[in-house]
Amino acid sequence: MSMLEVQNLNVRYLTENGASEVIKDISFQVEKGEIVGLAGESGSGKSTAMLAVMGLLDGRAKIQCRTLSLGGGPVRPGYNAAMIFQDPLSSLNPSLRIGKQITETIRLRQKCNRKEVAARAEELLDMVGIHNPSLRMRQYPHELSGGMRQRVVLAIALACSPDLIIADEPTTALDAVVQAQILSLFKRIVRETGTSLLLVSHDMGVTAALCSRVYVMHQGKIVEGGSAEDIFYSPAEDYTKRLLADARGSRKVPAKAAESTPLIRLEHVTKTFDPSEGIRDLSAEICKGEIFALAGESGSGKTTTAKVLTGILCEDSGHLYYKGKLLPGKNRMEAFGGRVQMVFQDPCASLNPGLTVRQALREALLASARRGGETPDPGRTDRKITDMLELTGISGGDADRYPGEFSGGQRQRIGIARALITGPELLVCDEALSSLDATTREQILDLLFDLQKKIGFACLFISHDMYVVRRISGRIGVMYGGRLIEAGSTGTVCSDPWHPYTKQLLESVPEPDPLRAAKVKAAPSKERGQDAGKGCPFAGKCGYAMECCLSEIPETLRFGERQVACFLYSEAHSGKRDRNYKMTSQI
Amino acid sequence: MPGRLRQHWKNYTGSSRMAVAGCVILGVWILFAVAVPLFGPWSYSAQDAEIRNQGASLAHWFGTDRFGRDLFARVWYGAGISLIVGTASTLVNGGIGILYGAAAGYAGKRTDMILMRIADIISAIPSMLYVILITLVMGAGIGSIIVGLCIAGWISMARIVRGEIIRLKEADYIYAARMEGIGRFRILFRHILPNAAGPIVVNMIFLVPQAIFTEAFLSFLGVGIAAPAASLGTIIQEARSQMMLYPYQMIFPLVVLCVMILALNMTGTAVEERVGSRRGREKK
Amino acid sequence: MLKYTVRRIVTGLISLFVLATITFFLVRLIPGSPFQRGGVSEQVVEAVEQEYGLNEPVISQYMSYMSNLLRGDLGISYQDPSNRVTDIIARAWPVTASIGIAALAVSLLLGTIAGVVRAVTGKRYVKELISGGSMLAAGIPGFAAAILLLLVFSVKLKWLPASGLMTPAHYILPVTALSLYPAAMISRLLSNTLSGELQKDYVLFARAKGLGKWRVILVHALKNSYLPVLNYIGPASASLLTGSFVIESIFTIPGLGREFVGSITNRDYTLILGLTVFMGAVVIIINLFTDLLCAWLSPQTRRAYRKEEF
Repeated sequence: MSMLEVQNLNVRYLTENGASEVIKDISFQVEKGEIVGLAGESGSGKSTAMLAVMGLLDGRAKIQCRTLSLGGGPVRPGYNAAMIFQDPLSSLNPSLRIGKQITETIRLRQKCNRKEVAARAEELLDMVGIHNPSLRMRQYPHELSGGMRQRVVLAIALACSPDLIIADEPTTALDAVVQAQILSLFKRIVRETGTSLLLVSHDMGVTAALCSRVYVMHQGKIVEGGSAEDIFYSPAEDYTKRLLADARGSRKVPAKAAESTPLIRLEHVTKTFDPSEGIRDLSAEICKGEIFALAGESGSGKTTTAKVLTGILCEDSGHLYYKGKLLPGKNRMEAFGGRVQMVFQDPCASLNPGLTVRQALREALLASARRGGETPDPGRTDRKITDMLELTGISGGDADRYPGEFSGGQRQRIGIARALITGPELLVCDEALSSLDATTREQILDLLFDLQKKIGFACLFISHDMYVVRRISGRIGVMYGGRLIEAGSTGTVCSDPWHPYTKQLLESVPEPDPLRAAKVKAAPSKERGQDAGKGCPFAGKCGYAMECCLSEIPETLRFGERQVACFLYSEAHSGKRDRNYKMTSQI
Repeated sequence: MPGRLRQHWKNYTGSSRMAVAGCVILGVWILFAVAVPLFGPWSYSAQDAEIRNQGASLAHWFGTDRFGRDLFARVWYGAGISLIVGTASTLVNGGIGILYGAAAGYAGKRTDMILMRIADIISAIPSMLYVILITLVMGAGIGSIIVGLCIAGWISMARIVRGEIIRLKEADYIYAARMEGIGRFRILFRHILPNAAGPIVVNMIFLVPQAIFTEAFLSFLGVGIAAPAASLGTIIQEARSQMMLYPYQMIFPLVVLCVMILALNMTGTAVEERVGSRRGREKK
Repeated sequence: MLKYTVRRIVTGLISLFVLATITFFLVRLIPGSPFQRGGVSEQVVEAVEQEYGLNEPVISQYMSYMSNLLRGDLGISYQDPSNRVTDIIARAWPVTASIGIAALAVSLLLGTIAGVVRAVTGKRYVKELISGGSMLAAGIPGFAAAILLLLVFSVKLKWLPASGLMTPAHYILPVTALSLYPAAMISRLLSNTLSGELQKDYVLFARAKGLGKWRVILVHALKNSYLPVLNYIGPASASLLTGSFVIESIFTIPGLGREFVGSITNRDYTLILGLTVFMGAVVIIINLFTDLLCAWLSPQTRRAYRKEEF
């Protein structure tokens, strides 16, 4: 018999207007020591099903199930089963020390004295790859990094030596590099402890990287289940095919920069908040009509760059040139006069909830007309609004509804319509796709791409997702620790990364393909002590770090259209080069 | 059809049963407070030695007090005074609070810091103490009570308005509006303030019962409304000396006062829940 | 953190100074002389005023008052010259403080229980009962509650004593009357934050760890939702102190509140001044203390303050 056996599980939520069925008659098994994936879009009922299995739905829902057994007995959270949630920060109690949160779980199971418990907790932390357990035990969750928090959560889950661990989107809130580390940690833990793992994820890449068997869930039902190879290479159901197609996406051919005249040029821009946040000495340019992407982990300064560029923030030092003209940080927004617009990450927050779509678009048009000194013609304004909405895929009849009545994807379309209606020269998309589902993401990506081709505005596309970035952009810049460490045309940078971090970033993105995803390399998680602000920001985690990397900041070296900030490419490292020296990857 | 009607009624009342009840009570109270002194047969201040300390009767619904004044007329007159004090001070406090908070929140930086430190200092002093002192200085009366209430009453409103404005100033759609080139004042009045209206209205509603509470308290202490005018607090205070003999003289105004405050609190809570559910999980 | 502490203390000191100044001038502005009563001639009033230094310029009176204040001297009562204001406070304060502390403890206990039950219970009627009860308790003015309690329990039922403060039984009615309002506020505050806190992932995770429902609620969620309640202790103590004005006079308890009401009716200006400054100072100090306590207790606020500092 299987480790976890679930047969005919039904879950109904009890609401004021009767019960609504969320999970319809699903059955699945997990064998001992096996990693099973549960894939599907958000809202397909994956998490609800898992909470039902754990018995954590309380009185909110009615659960019916023919069989629900774990190792022959009932599922007992904290005794034979453990669960891990998406956001490690909110999973940990913010006001209790890490140590206490681990030990209270250990004490639940076995009576032992304080010393033994502490020793066991340190052992667990060591097992999940935390280097300095006794120090970490005394810290609060907010003092740890995201990846370390998820490791702590895993240590807590392991404290009861469970037969089954359910991991609900365990890496979704993490950066790509950290995600790869956590995935390989899961693999190791399953191998070492022999526990079973049920991995719930919307990300087909993550599922492919880890699971040997996969169930696909859609609207509360399991539509397909089978070995990973079957699901990924020969899916039977249309839904699975669509899911995979969306995850793989299609390679777009970005428009070549119409002219290589820079529209906006940043020179040595610095804007810092505290030692670990902000951007430092950043130089970049965006040409007319091109899509320039900025990639990098969260906190690397991408959003700060966007904010400085649009004038929301004022730089501490450095210059910004717009069409060759110097624009000071103060009143930059006014100076742009609506020619730089932005699409924001959160489609809920980027539209004024008190204005209808038409009113919001009219506000923008009125402002631009007033600037031009003309009196707006109501008929033309209305026609413009309808046209723009149709262009972005919103029917004109919906123009008089409020933003709250639209879905996330639709709101993002409205946000794009709002940004484009004044005919900007530069559109800044700050993580504009990251809050959307895979399917919606593909649609919006297509829309942005088509619009860009049609209208020809320049676009600064910011994303943490290398997979999206490499498909849409013509040129790419990679940021780390507030600095631009590598830039060049997307094709060359992605196929032949020069900077060690870019390479790590590219290697850590799992593709929705079990064979390739299995090769995803997890960078060793190093935490070398380093003075903040001294030396290369990546030196502490770099496998190629040299003496000079720790003490000096590498200057940006240019080779044709590429640029890289790394000592490996400096003359001091490679020796004197003659004029026609062709730089190649040094790693 | 009846089923659907019932569903409608359920939807309607289910969410705002409390608001409806609060508003109905409040409406009745206001109606009485206006109509009884105007059209009632008895004056609130006319004394009549013949009918002292009478119990409730058809002629005098709440009975009479020790000077033979009709309590029904007095209680509703007093309720009117309480309502006037509550509304007037709320309007003044709300106005000052919105302006002060908007100035601090929208100006930001140093101005904000200085304005809020001043508010901190004022609010650290228990306001009841100087409300009492001010009524002593200005003499008892509606005016001095309102002035007293307005010294510190606006601070909570100012803090709320400031918080809302600071929160909204950082909202993506405000950045978007600024990028579109919309002017500062248009942003403040068309984009920021309407979206801050919910919490402002809720706080306004809660200011009214607070003010009525304070007024009743002061009148009960004997520093509030001076004779011949009377508020509910004064009437309760007057009845205290004969509390053991004629408890009803105290019970009637007490009940009217408590129900009034309760109705205001109910309305406020209902509106608060409405506003809260409309914003949903916008915060956090 | 240190900067925050210093800033809070400085704000508190300024508040104290402002309070003393405003009170001094307001009291001087009260029309008429404190000694003007029926049957007292102008000459006598003038003579007495001279004796108390009331004919000097206001500024010099203010200066001498403030310098006395710094030395902890609040002057002597005008109505009863044999008593120093500080002596009156020393006599009455312990009485008021004991009732106040008892009321604070009762309201914390009551409010916490009601708030937790309301946030946790799945039963609709229990929820509505507690909401209704706390709305009622917050809607009845303290003096009204006191009078009703007095009428019911000591006049009608004769279960409890009506006046004085001799035995523990004497405490029951005044403490109940005082603690109703703060208890209602605490239960409301707590149930709102607690039900928000219970929605969070760490509660679910704690349950998934195998911790019992009540352990999760009481150890994890309650600790994180108690901050607003601690913050409320400052305003609550202010409301208890002002509440004591009427409670003490209704139950004839010889405390600070009754002295204050008495000083108002007697127009005893030094006593009004002294008591106002004293009570204001008490509230300001409690506020300061709870603010620092909150900042110190919660690691997040601690971090927020630290971030504010750079």
